[in-house]
Amino acid sequence: MTLPLVLGLATALFGIGLYGLLQRRSLVAMLIALELMLASISLNVVALTTFTGHDPSMGQVVVLIFVGVAAAEVAIALSLFVAIHRAEHDIDVEHLSELRG
Amino acid sequence: MTVAGWILLVSAAVALLGALLAVGLRNIFHNILGFALAMLGVAGVFGSLGSDFLAAVFVLVYVGAVAIAMVYAVMLSHPLDQPHRPRKGWKIAGAAALAAGVAAALWGVLRQARWLEAVPGGDNSAARTGTRFLTDYVLAFELVSVLLVVAMMGAVMVARRARPGRGSW
Repeated sequence: MTLPLVLGLATALFGIGLYGLLQRRSLVAMLIALELMLASISLNVVALTTFTGHDPSMGQVVVLIFVGVAAAEVAIALSLFVAIHRAEHDIDVEHLSELRG
Repeated sequence: MTVAGWILLVSAAVALLGALLAVGLRNIFHNILGFALAMLGVAGVFGSLGSDFLAAVFVLVYVGAVAIAMVYAVMLSHPLDQPHRPRKGWKIAGAAALAAGVAAALWGVLRQARWLEAVPGGDNSAARTGTRFLTDYVLAFELVSVLLVVAMMGAVMVARRARPGRGSW
């Protein structure tokens, strides 16, 4: 009973995150949606290693690595947003259509 | 129903509500608060699954660090000052349809799979996780450390304001 509930929650979070990633235009809002999708994957990994007989500490190791990579990603992304805002005075993706050195 | 079962249900509801707030509201500050709420819910789900160390890590990293960093980025980039431009209806509908389709497909796959649900067992304590990290997975652990250092240095380099007269790197 618990496993389908957690897998369903992860699926719902993934869908909500995907919707936000597609629909929002602010870069920060898109990053939030991306983090929701990452969290849903972590939920899947923990639920499957807990309930299907594998070593559950293995799932924890994998999710901790996810968290580390996600933290690095957030740091880089947020600093990029600040730099983009300084150059363009806008962080709306539909206005950021130019690549220039 | 056991206490852990209730905690799981409430946490799942909190996570869903937070995710909806994080994506659905228009004000970016409310989005960040919803995101923190969703991460609290996910941490509660981890706790009720027995992974209390992961629950603590999620609260520390996501609610504590990532949400605060996002607030800083919002304060530095003033998205609320921008005039609101309405989104085209077909784009919203397309995004919703695609997201719902992907979620439905994933759920269909999950429903078809025959999970052999075992009794939760094994040792998933913080001590066991730490031991595995520093024995079997020490290379991954070190690589994540290096990645974090490089990412922090890169973030400082990218966000650093080029001072006049000193040139930019």
